[in-house]
Amino acid sequence: MKAINELNLPEDARYTDDHEWAKKNGDVVRMGISDYAQDQLGDIVFVELPEVGSSFDKGEEFGTVESVKAVSELYMPIGGEVTAINEALADAPELVNSAPYDGGWMMEIKASDPAELEALKSKADYLELLKG
Amino acid sequence: MALEKTSTTTPACWWVDLPETDYPEALDLQLAVVNAKTGGRLEADVVLSVEHPRVFTLGRRGGRENLCVTDDFLAQKGVSVVPTDRGGNITYHGPGQLVVYPIIDLNRRRLKVVDFVSGLEQAMIRTAGHWGIDAGTDPANRGVWLDGDKLGSIGITVRRGVSFHGLALNVNTDMAPFGWINPCGLDQVNMTSFERRLSRPVPMAEARQHMAAHLAAVFGIALTTVSPEQLYAVI
Repeated sequence: MKAINELNLPEDARYTDDHEWAKKNGDVVRMGISDYAQDQLGDIVFVELPEVGSSFDKGEEFGTVESVKAVSELYMPIGGEVTAINEALADAPELVNSAPYDGGWMMEIKASDPAELEALKSKADYLELLKG
Repeated sequence: MALEKTSTTTPACWWVDLPETDYPEALDLQLAVVNAKTGGRLEADVVLSVEHPRVFTLGRRGGRENLCVTDDFLAQKGVSVVPTDRGGNITYHGPGQLVVYPIIDLNRRRLKVVDFVSGLEQAMIRTAGHWGIDAGTDPANRGVWLDGDKLGSIGITVRRGVSFHGLALNVNTDMAPFGWINPCGLDQVNMTSFERRLSRPVPMAEARQHMAAHLAAVFGIALTTVSPEQLYAVI
């Protein structure tokens, strides 16, 4: 288990109360789950993602991760249309554990309201949430 | 990991002993409690303790491929197969098995999913220990094991930080239906029970009491016993 000061929380990402991260990547927003989330879930054995082209509201459930006999729901950091999913996770779900912001990204979203990204937590605010 | 919350309030946790309840009905009750909690209408965490009539349940990713008998055979035996959204693969529930559904706000209690699952295993191990049964964990496969046989299983779901589904511990379970599946999707796994180990049944009420006490100790939670009627009144 990682202590808070050992967590990798990139400055250029935004975070949600449900421990997802989101970051601008060209015209779209790339998202995944935070280092804290992957650490507390344990070894991830399956990632269930929606089809490209589906749309969700901010906060809506879009998929699940399964770890250690536990299915945990995933929620949209912002609303929009899914433009890409990380196909590599089908065969290598452990990438979410080893590289949550790089190889373990989950989806790319075309934001329905760009302001929603800016409204998410900064690293400093997310750290406050984790510290309670 | 040091993530202690400095809050002074200790959320209540209710222990509810249900009568033998059909699986779908118990699942509806779990979902009602989860909705009440995520909707902010119920502050208390709730632990349901129950036995089910014979049923097979599948995990979110299925498990029907690990059912080794035909639908006709199951119909003849009066056993249904229920798909669920929990973690894990196919399992069997039936009379004599202690099933516990902890519906806990893991975020509020600062409980990590991995630690929660380990805690459920510990509570099962300690409950078995009361009868001198020396069960343990297996680093390769979750659940609780006894000399290579499986004594207890875990499968949970986490929704908005609240856990549901839970654990199943074979106390006096009729073991025959486990022979109709590859339990948990594991080939060549034998299941066992308290009764099989001790060559005598164990009073279920006692097993429930010990489970409650050990869950409380493992998670540092004070449990208050609440009747099903009291629970129904607030959800």
